[in-house]
Parts: sequence; C-alpha cells; structure tokens
Amino acid sequence: MASTACFVIVSKNDIPIYEAEVGSAPKKEDLAHQHQFILHAALDVVQDLAWTTNAMFLRSVDRFSDLVVSVYDSVVHTRFMLLHDPRSDDGIKSFFQEVHELYIKIFLNPLYLPGSRITSSHFDTKVRALARKYL
Amino acid sequence: MADFLFLTVEDVSDLWLNVKESFEGRVPVKKACLNNKARNPVFVDNLPAEFIQTTDSRLRSRFPQEQYLFWFREPYATVVLVTCEDLDEFKTILKPRLKLIVQNDEREWFIVFVSKAHPSNDQASKMAKKVYARLEADFNTKKRERCCKFDLHGPDAEFWDDFDSKMVDCIRNTLDRRVQFYEEEIRRLSEQRFTPIWNFCNFFILKESLAFMFEMSNLHEDSLREYDELELCYSESVTSPGKHREFGGLDTGDDQAALLNPGFKALTQIVQDDVFREFEFRQYIFACQAKLLFKLSRPIEVAARGHAFVVGFSKTLALHENSLPFCFREVWVITACLGLIKSTTSHYDGGAVSIDTDKEFYRLQGDLYSLCRIKFMRLAYLIGYGVEIEKSPVNSASLSMLPWPKPATWPSIPPDSSAEVMEKEKMVLQAKSREKLFDIHRKPLPLEPSLLLREANRRRAFLSVGNLSELYDSADGSGLDANSKLSPNRSASNFMTRTMSGPATSETSLPVDRPMRLSEIHVAAEHALKQTISDPDFMSSLSSVEEFEKRYMELTKGAADNYHRSWWKRHGVVLDGEIAALFFKHGNYDLAVKSYEKVCALYSAEGWEELLADVLPDLAECQKILNDEAGYLASCVKLLSLDSTLFSSKERQAFQSEVVRLAHSEMKYLVPLDVSSLITFAGSAGPPLELCDGDPGTLSIVVWSGFPDDITLESLSLRLSASSSADEGIKAIKSSDSHVLKPGRNTISFDIPPQKPGSYVLGALTGQIGKLSFRSHGFSQDGPVETDEFMSFETPTRPVLKVRKPRALVDITPAVSSALLMNELQWIGLIVKPIDYSLKGGILHIDAGAELKIEESQMIEIEHYRGDVEHASSADSSAEAGRVEKIPIENGKIKLPDWASDVTTLVWFPVRAIDDTIARGESPASPQKQSVVDGMRMIALKLEFGVFHNQVFERTIAVHFTNPFHVSTRVVDKCNDGTLLLQVILCSEVKATLHVKDVQLDLQSGFEHLGKGDGRPASSLFPLVVAPSSRAGILFIIRLSGTKDLDEVENADSMLNIKYGISGDRTTGAHSPVPAQVGDSEELLFKIALRLKRPVLDPCLAVGFLPFSTDSLRVGQLVNMKWRVERLKTPEDSNISSDEILYQVDANPQNWMVAGRKCGHVSLSNEQGSRMEITVTCIPLVSGYVHPPQLGLPEVGEVNISCNPAGPHLVCVLPPALSTSYCIPAA
Repeated sequence: MASTACFVIVSKNDIPIYEAEVGSAPKKEDLAHQHQFILHAALDVVQDLAWTTNAMFLRSVDRFSDLVVSVYDSVVHTRFMLLHDPRSDDGIKSFFQEVHELYIKIFLNPLYLPGSRITSSHFDTKVRALARKYL
Repeated sequence: MADFLFLTVEDVSDLWLNVKESFEGRVPVKKACLNNKARNPVFVDNLPAEFIQTTDSRLRSRFPQEQYLFWFREPYATVVLVTCEDLDEFKTILKPRLKLIVQNDEREWFIVFVSKAHPSNDQASKMAKKVYARLEADFNTKKRERCCKFDLHGPDAEFWDDFDSKMVDCIRNTLDRRVQFYEEEIRRLSEQRFTPIWNFCNFFILKESLAFMFEMSNLHEDSLREYDELELCYSESVTSPGKHREFGGLDTGDDQAALLNPGFKALTQIVQDDVFREFEFRQYIFACQAKLLFKLSRPIEVAARGHAFVVGFSKTLALHENSLPFCFREVWVITACLGLIKSTTSHYDGGAVSIDTDKEFYRLQGDLYSLCRIKFMRLAYLIGYGVEIEKSPVNSASLSMLPWPKPATWPSIPPDSSAEVMEKEKMVLQAKSREKLFDIHRKPLPLEPSLLLREANRRRAFLSVGNLSELYDSADGSGLDANSKLSPNRSASNFMTRTMSGPATSETSLPVDRPMRLSEIHVAAEHALKQTISDPDFMSSLSSVEEFEKRYMELTKGAADNYHRSWWKRHGVVLDGEIAALFFKHGNYDLAVKSYEKVCALYSAEGWEELLADVLPDLAECQKILNDEAGYLASCVKLLSLDSTLFSSKERQAFQSEVVRLAHSEMKYLVPLDVSSLITFAGSAGPPLELCDGDPGTLSIVVWSGFPDDITLESLSLRLSASSSADEGIKAIKSSDSHVLKPGRNTISFDIPPQKPGSYVLGALTGQIGKLSFRSHGFSQDGPVETDEFMSFETPTRPVLKVRKPRALVDITPAVSSALLMNELQWIGLIVKPIDYSLKGGILHIDAGAELKIEESQMIEIEHYRGDVEHASSADSSAEAGRVEKIPIENGKIKLPDWASDVTTLVWFPVRAIDDTIARGESPASPQKQSVVDGMRMIALKLEFGVFHNQVFERTIAVHFTNPFHVSTRVVDKCNDGTLLLQVILCSEVKATLHVKDVQLDLQSGFEHLGKGDGRPASSLFPLVVAPSSRAGILFIIRLSGTKDLDEVENADSMLNIKYGISGDRTTGAHSPVPAQVGDSEELLFKIALRLKRPVLDPCLAVGFLPFSTDSLRVGQLVNMKWRVERLKTPEDSNISSDEILYQVDANPQNWMVAGRKCGHVSLSNEQGSRMEITVTCIPLVSGYVHPPQLGLPEVGEVNISCNPAGPHLVCVLPPALSTSYCIPAA
C-alpha cells in the first residue's frame, strides 16, 4: 500500500463530493491541506486533457514534486482523482475501475441526487478496502 | 567568420568592379530551392550569401587540416566573369584559360559573359553575340547550361533569372555533395561507436559542421535535427559507465544559466579527454537548439523544451550537488527560468497562433515563473526570510516537498559575523506570527521538508553524532527540548520552537563541536550564497526583506498573470492569493481584498471548503479593516456555513458573535445579506398543506440554522411563490413564532392568509437580525440534513401549499319537495351537507322573505340526515341517527353545533307563510286560475363557516305553500221543485292524509239550505279521510231563496268552513302544524269562499233551426233556411205583451247571400205553445263548412231564448256542379 494517497471524487461542477485519505502514512492535518491544494490545481490540467481523449482513465495528469495525480473520468464528467506516489498504472487503473463500479451503484440509487455529496458509509468502507487492495 | 555561403568570383577579365554592385544586389538570394537532408526540395527564402573574389585573403589563410574541419565554409559556387570581343582572342587565350579554371571537378561553376558592347553599336553587339555563341558551344553540355550573358549596358530581366537559377543550382549541388560527404563520415564514425577508439569530439565536430551547414543554408529544421541527434548521442555517451568525468560548473559566472547563449564559453574550454563537460555542453546544445527554434519562430517550443530542460537539468545538478557550490542548483534554476522567460516572451508575438497554442505558451511561462518562484523562496528561507513567507497551502506544498540542498558540508559561519547573527536573530524575534481574526488557531503549514536546523547541522562533517542526538532526540522530535535547553529563559511560542532561535551570544567564534543556531545557519547560508551568486542584481534581491519581497511579488505576479492567460484559473487564482497575502502584509488592503475575493470565489464556487477555510478569514479581516460591513458580514456568514469540522466550535461562536455584534451595532443602513448557505429551510415532510380557496392556514416550515448557538431574530418571514408563475407575487408572510433559532432543526409555523388557487413552492426566507436583513434561498433536502448543507437547484422543488380552485364546500337544499300548509306553522327542513369541509362554528343566517315569518319562539331542530344513499348500517350513524338537538334561533341566526360540522344534517325550523287573501273555490260559473307562484315563498340562506368565517355560502330557496284543499262546486241536479243539489268537491293539495271532520257551508243570500238548515251536508260521513291527491265530494241540498236583489246576489260569497286534521310527514311535505302553544288542538279550520250563481232564468221562447229540405247545399243553389219559433210560456211581464216579435238574420256576407228580408216582425201569440216558422232564402257563396245564418230576436233577451242547437254550428256547402255553373235547370 502506498504511503501517500488521497482520493477525491469531483463532480462535474468541480465540487468535491467524496474525499478520502487512503495512504498508509500517518495522517497529518497539514498534509491533507496540501493534498487538497494539489488536487484542486490539477483540475486545471484535467480540464484541458479531458477533451482530448476518449479514454476514461487519463493516467497521471500532473506531478507535484514527488507526487502524481491520476485521473479517471467517470460518468457525467464525474472525475476520480488520486494523488499518489509514483507507481505503475495498473493498480491505479484497477482501483479506479472498481470505484467506478461502486460509483455507478451509488448513481443508480434513486435517493442519491447526482452531484451531491456521497455520504454512504458503505461506499467509504468499500473504497478504503479497494485502496488497500490495489494501492 | 560570418555565417554566409561564399560564392567566389573568378575575375578573368577584370570586370568585377564593374559588376560588383549589381551582383551583390542579388544576395541574399530571395528564393532558392535546396534539398534537405532527406533529399526533398525545400524552398528557402533569403538565403544569405556573399561574393568574394578568389584572391580574397579569407580563402587563403587556412591550413589544410583546418580546411577539412571547416570545409562547410568553402565556397559553394564559382562565378567566372569573362568578356571577349574577338573570336580569335577567345579561341587562343580565353578558352584555354577557362578550361584550366573549370577543370577542377570539385567546384561548382558557371560562366558569366559580360558584353561591353553598347546596344547602339551593332558591330560590337554582333561580335559579342558570336563570341558568346562560341562560349556556349564550348562550355555548355547537354545536361547543363553553364553560361549566361550579361549586358553591361542595361541587362535584361531574363539575365537575372538565369543568373539566379544557375547560382542556386551550383549552391544546391555543392550542398548536396557536402551533406553526402558528411553523412558518410558520420556513418563511418557511428559504426565505431562502441569501439575504444571512438571519440565523441570528432563525432561532434562532424555533426555540428553538418548542422552548421544546414543552418547557413537556412535549412533550420535539418540543423535542429542534427543537434537533437547530437544531444541524444551525448546523453548516451555521458551516462555510459566509465571513468569519472568532471561535471563542470565551477567557473565564475556558471551559476547564471547559459542555456540561451551558445557562445558563453568556447568549446575548447569545456572539452575534457574525449568528451565535453556536461554542465557546459548541455547548455551549449540547448542554446544551439533554442537559437534555431527562434529562427524558426517557435518560441513556444523553446519554452516547452526549456522547461523540460530546466527540470531535467536540475535533477542532474542535484546529482552533482556535492561538488557544486552551495545552492548552486537553485541559483541556476532561477537564472535559467528568468532567461527563458525573457527570451521567449521577447520572441513571442502571439499573433498568428491558435488559441490552444497561445494558452500553452502562457502556461509554460506560468510554469517557469512558478518554478523560479519556488526556488527563490527556498533561497530566501535559507537566509532567514522564511518568517516573511505566507504559510499558505501552495507555499507549503511547494516547499515542504522540496528537499533541502545537500552540499557536501553545510557552510559554516564566517568569522566576525556576530553582528549579522544578531541582526537575523532580531528579525526572527520581531516577526510575530500574525494573530488571525476570530482567534483562529491553526497549526501553521510547514515550509520546510524537515527542520532546517537539523539538516544543516547534520551536514556539518565535524559535528559529533553524540551532540546531534542530544539535540534532537527529544520526545516529540520537534526540537522543543533542544530549544529549551538553549534558551531556557525564553517563552517558547510555537513559532519560536520551530525556528529555534537562541539568545544572541557575544561569542563570535563557535566552538567546533557546538551545533549552529538557526540564525547562524542563516548567516552562514547568506555568506555562502554570496559566494555562489555572481550576478550582483540577483544577490541584491536577497539582500533585504524589502528587496526579497519585491522580487517575490514580481515572480508571483508573473506566474499568476500567465496562468490566467492560459486559462489555468486555479493555478492563477492560488497565486493571486499569495499576492493578496503580501498586499495584506503591507497594509494594502484594497488590493488584497480584490485578490482574496477572487480566490474565495473560486474555492467557494467549486466547493473546496478546506481551502476556502484557509483564506476566508484573511478576506474577512481585510474587509473588517476596510470597514466593508456588507462584505465582512457576508464573509462571516460564509465562514459559519462552512463545514463545521473545519473550525472549532469556539471559532464558530466567534463568527456568530461577530455577526450579531455587527447586526446590532450602529450600522447606518439595513444591510442585505444572503445566508442561503447558512440558514436553509424546507417544507415539513409529508404531503403539502392543502387549503380551500379563501381559507387561511398554518404552514410549518423546517428551518435549519447553521449558527453554532441560538440566534435571536427580529423577524422572520417567508415568501411563497406560485409554481405556475415565476414572479413572487405574494408578500412575505411573517412568522408568529418566537424568533430564536436553535442550532440545527427548528420548526416554525407561518399563518398564511388566503391565497389564490394554485400550488406554491417555498420562495425565500427573509428575516432580520438587528439591522441585518437576511435572505435565504437555500432549500435543504427533506429529512435530516447532514452537517454540510447541499444546495441543489436541479431538483424540482416540492410544492408546500396547494390552494384548491374554488368549489362548493357545502350544499344546502330544502328537504321537502311538496307543498306545505299555508297560514300554518310548518317545519321547513334544510339539508346542510358539508362537502369534504368542516363546518365547525358555522352560522346559518335564515332570512325569510315577504309573507313568510320565522317563529323565533320555537327551537330549531337539528338532526342527522340519512340520505337515501347512505346506509344506516354502521353503528355510528345509527347512534347518531336518532339524535335531534334543539337549538335556539336568534335574529335569524343559527349556530351549528360541533357534532354537525362534518356530517350532513337536517335543520328544521318553523315558519308560517302568510296569505291574507281568502281562498276561493271554483265553480263552472266562475272558473279560477290557480298560479303556482301564489304559494311560493323565498328563504334567503347564508352560511358562514371556515376557521375565520371566511367562507360564505349563500342560497335562496323557494318553498311552496298551499291550502289543504282545492274546492270546486257544481250543481248536480236541478229538481223540478227548484231544489238544487250542490256538490262541493274537495281536492287534496298536499301530500298528506287529510281528515275532514266537519264541513259547514254558510250560504250567501239568495240561497238557502233545505232541511235542517245548519249548513251541514246532506249526509253525514264524517270524519272523511282524503288521501293525498284524491278528491272527495260533499253534497248540499239548497234552493234559491226568493230574493230579487241581484246585486247582492252577485257580490256575496258563500263560505265553506272545513274542520280538518292532517297527518303527514314533515320530510315529505305538509304536516300537522307546530303547536304554537302546548295544548293547541290539532283541529284545523280551512275557510274558503264559494261564489254560487243563481241559475239562469226560464226561457220564454225557443228557436229551432229546421233541417234543410235538400240533402246537400251547393254553391249558388238557393236554399231555404227555416227556423221555428215557439213561445214556451206566457210572458209574465206585461210590458212585452205584444204579439209581434222582431227577428233579424245575421249572415256573413262573404259566405251567404240572403235573398229575402233580413229582419222584420212576425206575429206570435202570447199564449204558451204558440209557434211559427220564419223562412229566409239564401245562396251559399263558398263551399266548405261554414256557419249558417243565424236568427236573432233582438227584442227578447238572450237569456230568455233557448236555442237548438244551442251554440253556433256549421253546415256543409258543396262546390257547384261542374257543367251547370250558375245555370238553373229548367226542371
């Protein structure tokens, strides 16, 4: 498992609707702050990149120092963004794909309003489990 | 040597000076077609070239080996300039000489024959032509023409084209040959690549020569490719394992990046063994590439490559950091970035590029600026300006992930620097961490990857390990203990702890094993940097805090502006925040607010609350200082509405108290404020409140307050908006509840005045806190809202109120359908039927119309109504069924009891219809027309109901009253003795059984009863029961009394008094009257007037119409009309005793022609039984049924004549016979 990993789901309006620090490194509050900043800034890159490809998995779109931002463009322009240490794409891709499945399930929930915050604890648990598995 | 192509001129006939000017006018060659490396034709514009004579010193000075190296600089073409005016001379002298010149195959050449002949001189021109023809014959080959003719006196345009093409041909051929040669050489060398004898320098010389040649020929693309290949090759050779090579970068001025200046150092200076020093050579290659790219007008690519190069090379520098001066890497990156920015911007005009390219360019500029900025901050931090750097997420993220420089040994503190150490010490002490507004205490974000103190001391080789561990192995590893050891007397604020500033000591020289203090580290670093940095301008920007901030601002602004131009708004806005922080620090609050607002707007729009929470307090502080109440309040509200986990409850309480304080302070004006994110509201769960038209209601709304504490509101009102129309046509509805909002969920009810029909959704919630009028549009979702509110404008808002269209809420119908008794106290039933609406508290106004009186002395009866559709099966209804409640009526008002509010009830109230006229009976003599309207009485009803008696139901009902009987009379028989049998027919008018108990007839004068004379009928059948709608007859025996007073007889009435009883159900109609007083007999009296007419007098004459003598009457045929007149009795009156009677025949002259006397006297004796006949002859004029002529006796009253037939009659007249019209047959 990667020491640093911050996973964020961003709605099509660029609003974060789910956030999770999934790294194994001990959580520091200042780091979370930085991660947010890096992920937010990476949206600039994503917005340029998203229209140039058909692929959902945009791979690593941005680097910040030693950290890499990988992005997966899910349904309705919901973007999964993962800040992580440099590593191979395969695990990240699998992680994204499985989270995508989970997200679709959330999306199909009639009580879930697309674009609103994901508050399901089940989702959270699953995502963390996936992070342990793949990252 | 200039970078020109050389073209040599072989001046055979000393002509050069004559033509020099015009020849040099042809260079640079405007358009040339050359072959590139791939042997494809490429058109090159403005190919620079220079003509030199073969005798030029530049060609001679070279050594042979040099010529090999600089072969690419050898002339590309030889122009042989000749003239000759004589054929012989040409043959003998010129031709052998030219042969000699051109026999060298290596050279490309062509001959320019200069004709000196003047055009007017025909002879000379001819000669010149001849010679030129000869020349062509000798030197032109089939493949190639090498001659052209130049007219000294006015060359034509064709010549120059010819000249140019020949020149370009030569250049191209030479170039091709040389490229081929170089390529072969390079290939040869490449094959030896992995052999020990291989030498990069040789390879480089060939490669660069080729590149240079291309560059000279304006084939920049090819040249660039050569350099790229060279770079690749170099990278491979330099990374190949082998002996240790020098890296370079140790010369003075090396800290200033030379990546755009290929001539910074001579190549010979950087060559080492068989390869070049990496530091210099890489920059050199990049500089060459950049130069070519600029020539190709591709500054964007320079920026892109440059950024990559700087980043890559920075890593390379990191590998060699041990051997390089302190912070060399950082300084180099800064200068490189600045250089790149400067040169690319100056080359970039941004004119004819696509928008994407434009964005890309500015993004690269932004990247370069921000890279430069980070490195600059790192240097500044090292020399102690860290306290001045804003600890924002961007700075923290950039710097804390950037490792410290790793010099072999950390620079030590120079001697005699105690003053400087003091200075730094002071600076650190004076700088206080800024107290944030609202007492927000947050751990400042780190600007360092690890503690500088530890890092610096660790790298001091001579520091003993023991000391280190003693210094840092404290419990939390933060160096707190170390600090307290060094400065036990100093209060250890958080910041102090980290910077670990000790007291200034007087000792100037450090003991060797004592670790440096932070201020000492700063001083040492500054001194070391002074050694490293060669650019005085750069050094000066680090010389003081002010200078540093100036440069820092410059870089930040540059980065922000460029990011904005590249549409990377997030990058740009973040840096705007940094600019704002600096403005803020310098008290430039106006500008700071502007920038902070941009940052906050972005974060808040995109919902990145953690980042927003970081800058928003700063914005609020600026606004507070600027006295921008509205903005400050908005910021406070925004702070409150952020996720509650982002701030401690104490901080949130501070926000709230600030809002409240401001709201109640002396603000001049009402400040409007949008608190949509803080106070949200929604309709309560469940179906919407439904109201009937015109009804007020109470709507309860759930309001979520985001305030951490209770908050008192001056007022709270709600706006509803009709879902059908967009406008908020409804005025605000004030809440009557107490105005304290608890944190979290509150239920507030609003009294809603009557609204127009339609459905309504929640509009806005407005209210006032002190002078602050707030407004919220935030709709929270139903159910419990999470800690963070979520606004969704996509969901259709649920209607909270539905006002139905106007409809009948109640129906009142009369319960009886048939007529009631007139003049008696009767119950009128009203069916009051609520239609899904409660009539609670309803008041029924009953307004009886004219001739109708409500007996208020009586109680109203209300009972449960059982309609025929309803079933009495349910126990409930049967229990209710029997219930009859009596309630009083006052002023025509009835209050409906509560139990009756939801059920259909029957309201009985007593009325008396008044009819003053006396009923009249009907007889054949006086037929009577009975009008239904006569018995109609109107009752106006008004029911007020609803919560506020706002609903009104009005109806006028008609009730039919009638007499119990309809009476008619007839004379059944007339006896000979003058008695009359008078039959009185009673016809029941009501739907109830009538019991006639007694009947008495008071006869009018002129009539009298026979027999007992008590006015009773002939036979006593009483009581007589008359069923509804049936008739009964009563026979009276009367006779005419002998009165003669006719007037009296005519005007008087007989009265029929009927005593009767009634048994009927009030639900169906007439019933026994309500007893006005207890004990009233149930016997009723009905009086009716009858008018009896005396029978007609006895006729004294009878007139009979005798039948016709013929069977049929025909038009035009004479017929005798005969009447027989008979005296029936002897006239008593002596006045008319004459025995003559006047007769008169009336006939319609259109139908009849009377052919005889129409009137006259006939004699008739006065004796009874005397008779006579009157005959009148007539002719019918029309056919058909017509009235026959009538015989009248004018002197005898009509009453005295009995006619037979009694009334007018018709006779049939046939049409005339066909052939005998108007002819009377002879027979």
